[in-house]
Amino acid sequence: MNSETAIADTSGAKPAAPRYDGLRKAAIAVVLILVLVQAMYVVQARPQDLITGVHGMADIISRSLPPDFGGFSDQIWPALQTVDIAIFGTFFAIFLALPLAWLGAHNTTPSRVTYHLARSLIAICRAVPDLVWALLFVTAVGLGPFAGALALTVHSIGMLGRLLAEVIEDMDMGPMEALRSTGAGQLQVFSHAVVPSVLPSLMGIALYRLDDNIRSSLVLGFVGAGGIGFQLLSAMNLFDYPTVSLLLIMTFVIVIGAERMSAALRKRVA
Amino acid sequence: MAERLIEANNLGMRYPTGRLALQSASLAVSAGEFAVILGANGSGKSTMLRIIACITKPSDGHVLVGGQDITGLTGRRLANARMALGMVFQNANLVKRRSVIANVVCGTLGRHRNMMTSLGMLPAEEFPFGMRCLERVGLTKFAYQRASTLSGGQAQRASIARALAQRPKALLADEPIASLDPEASEEVMRLLRRLAKDEGMAVLAVLHQPELARRYADRLLGLRQGVIAFADAPDCITDGEIDSLYQGFAGT
Repeated sequence: MNSETAIADTSGAKPAAPRYDGLRKAAIAVVLILVLVQAMYVVQARPQDLITGVHGMADIISRSLPPDFGGFSDQIWPALQTVDIAIFGTFFAIFLALPLAWLGAHNTTPSRVTYHLARSLIAICRAVPDLVWALLFVTAVGLGPFAGALALTVHSIGMLGRLLAEVIEDMDMGPMEALRSTGAGQLQVFSHAVVPSVLPSLMGIALYRLDDNIRSSLVLGFVGAGGIGFQLLSAMNLFDYPTVSLLLIMTFVIVIGAERMSAALRKRVA
Repeated sequence: MAERLIEANNLGMRYPTGRLALQSASLAVSAGEFAVILGANGSGKSTMLRIIACITKPSDGHVLVGGQDITGLTGRRLANARMALGMVFQNANLVKRRSVIANVVCGTLGRHRNMMTSLGMLPAEEFPFGMRCLERVGLTKFAYQRASTLSGGQAQRASIARALAQRPKALLADEPIASLDPEASEEVMRLLRRLAKDEGMAVLAVLHQPELARRYADRLLGLRQGVIAFADAPDCITDGEIDSLYQGFAGT
């Protein structure tokens, strides 16, 4: 049979109409509703409690106002700590994640063993939440911002390492091959061909991570890693609600500011 | 007779699948000579070049560079022997975000293996030499531009400058003009010929363009199914002989 008869054979056929379309849509809807209902049951959702308890929230809000702006100068240092925990964590995570990503990218890794080692290490860093890392480091270096900074470093390696390994796997192998042919060593190929090629992606990912880390750093304060989070916890324990509201306003400003700055810088390096 | 810089004796290559890619193929390229290997896809010409460049190990035979047998070398000694061979690829393979001169100076990294260059610094003392390499390919005025701003032909010339920065005795080019327009192709071919004639390098290129090869090369080697069909000066080879390389492939 040649191609012309093949075309003639199918010309009379109509596209098969999907028959069970309505049934399938109904089934999907039922499944979605079932999933939602079980979620409401498991979280013990009781909307009536929220309505009857609303005066409690109103009470707290009224006691929080006006915010204690007089205490602002006391909170500058913790705010700086929060931001610096994130900067430290992001910066050192990049330095450690880059070589790990090189070992964990299948096109640059020296051997299968190093590939799996690097990938496992990256996975562990990512799988353990930063709060747990912070608790671990608090036992090692004591309460304070350093524990938080270390926790963010390790947890960020997990995310940065994986994304960077993917960037390296997608990069053009040509410059690496060319440098290797000139007699350059492994490290030289890495620093002169890989790093310059992935630099824009690296900057973008790092800035995004910095923004993430600033938010994490706030939460880490609750487990004793210093910064605004720790101040927030203390003020709440002391029922000092005007200070709580001041800290929430500062948090809002920091988070929004970091988000905007990170987005603006990312646009520049892209 | 001029010094034989590249010598390949009875190269054979059998892949693990049993396919014979190359059979007792020999060639010699002397200083100041521009030789071109022609052949259809799958004729073994790229395999041959990769063996000579020590990227692939042959199943049989030896490769001599400047009289030294490099077939059995490994590790650091192989790397040192390979420094005598500059490679040019089908794509320029420049690091696009760096300047042209930085890309060229990268060619000298092999002789500057130390902490600083491993951390991404370039050897400052090589910049004047890098500029001279750029001068040889006629790209001096582009030195401080980003490599991404070069046209295809300029990028390929910059990649030749990088190979020159390695201070090789011979240049190996694997389809250096396959992704260039006709004008840029002529430019690169002229440059390769000039490097052979004026600077006494041995140049060996794999090409897909018989008519360009005929005009620029000193010697043509035809590979057919892993066997050298002819090896002679362009004037001694008929069009029919060249066409015979591609027969059986033209219709597919």
